[in-house]
Amino acid sequence: MLAVIVKVFSVALAAIAISKSYVDFRARMESVQMFLVWTLTWVTIVLVALFPSIVDIILEYSGSGRAGLGTIFGMGLVFVLFMVYRIYVKLERVEKNLTKMIQDLALKDDWMTKT
Amino acid sequence: MPAHNEAGVISSVISRIPSEIDGMSVTAVVVDDGSTDGTAEAARRSGALVVRHLTNLGVGAATLTGFRAARMLNADIIVTMDSDGQHDPEEISSLVHCLVEGQFDVVIGSRILSPEGMPLSRIGANLLLNAITFVVYGKVVSDSQSGFKAVSRDALGRMKLKSSGYEICSEFIGEIHRNNLSYKSVPVKALYTRYSQRKGQPFLNGINLILAMLTRLLRRV
Repeated sequence: MLAVIVKVFSVALAAIAISKSYVDFRARMESVQMFLVWTLTWVTIVLVALFPSIVDIILEYSGSGRAGLGTIFGMGLVFVLFMVYRIYVKLERVEKNLTKMIQDLALKDDWMTKT
Repeated sequence: MPAHNEAGVISSVISRIPSEIDGMSVTAVVVDDGSTDGTAEAARRSGALVVRHLTNLGVGAATLTGFRAARMLNADIIVTMDSDGQHDPEEISSLVHCLVEGQFDVVIGSRILSPEGMPLSRIGANLLLNAITFVVYGKVVSDSQSGFKAVSRDALGRMKLKSSGYEICSEFIGEIHRNNLSYKSVPVKALYTRYSQRKGQPFLNGINLILAMLTRLLRRV
């Protein structure tokens, strides 16, 4: 049952992410490279979710066995945390700049005479 | 006065602000934080100077814009208050009196010292936020989340405030502590009208406030 939920959830999330990326690409808010990267990423996630045996084939092929699985997930987790940190820092910088810009604009206005 | 979509009440709040306190003239400055209901126009019609943010930045950013505006006006004493009618404008005089006569750097209007009419849930939330403010900023005050405060120009000049959201109140307390400023809490009425309670502070704002303060704490570690 849990496996079915994971599969449905993954497909739904991927559908939302890819369609959103496509809409942004059509609106010229996203480059074709970024659209392809996101599509490929989500297609890979869906494939692994639908056919988990792919992981076994890859591990067997690479010859690293079950221990390698933990290493891959560990590295994946570190990478995701790093990405979250990067996004957090960038978002904060953008918010800070936007706030300063709007405040400067507001005080450049002739507000002192508007009564 | 930071204001966001307060067109319904802002005129009545501004009209009750005294025009003079102890021989000092009073200028009402409203920072319209990207309102869409005509708050800026209503405030202007009532005689306030209005600084307008193009978009909503948050109460902290609006307060900081107000402080910059006060500096541009060469204000000697700066008073902040909510624009939703929760604070009684006639009590501005008692805050300013206390600041001048007691030679304090900051006077905080405390709802906890005069809690009549304050909902129990609000009292509990404020006490919890007082505790978190102490953990993050190292200072205990009776009402760390009060938006009704008076501060001298010199004291404000020493503060380094930067929060955009509701955490500005706690950061203000932290700056009192960091700069070793003298302060006093005086009781003020909390006017919880149906309007202010309806607008009020959604539960999510409280969660965001706690998260923002904990983030601040983590950054310092």
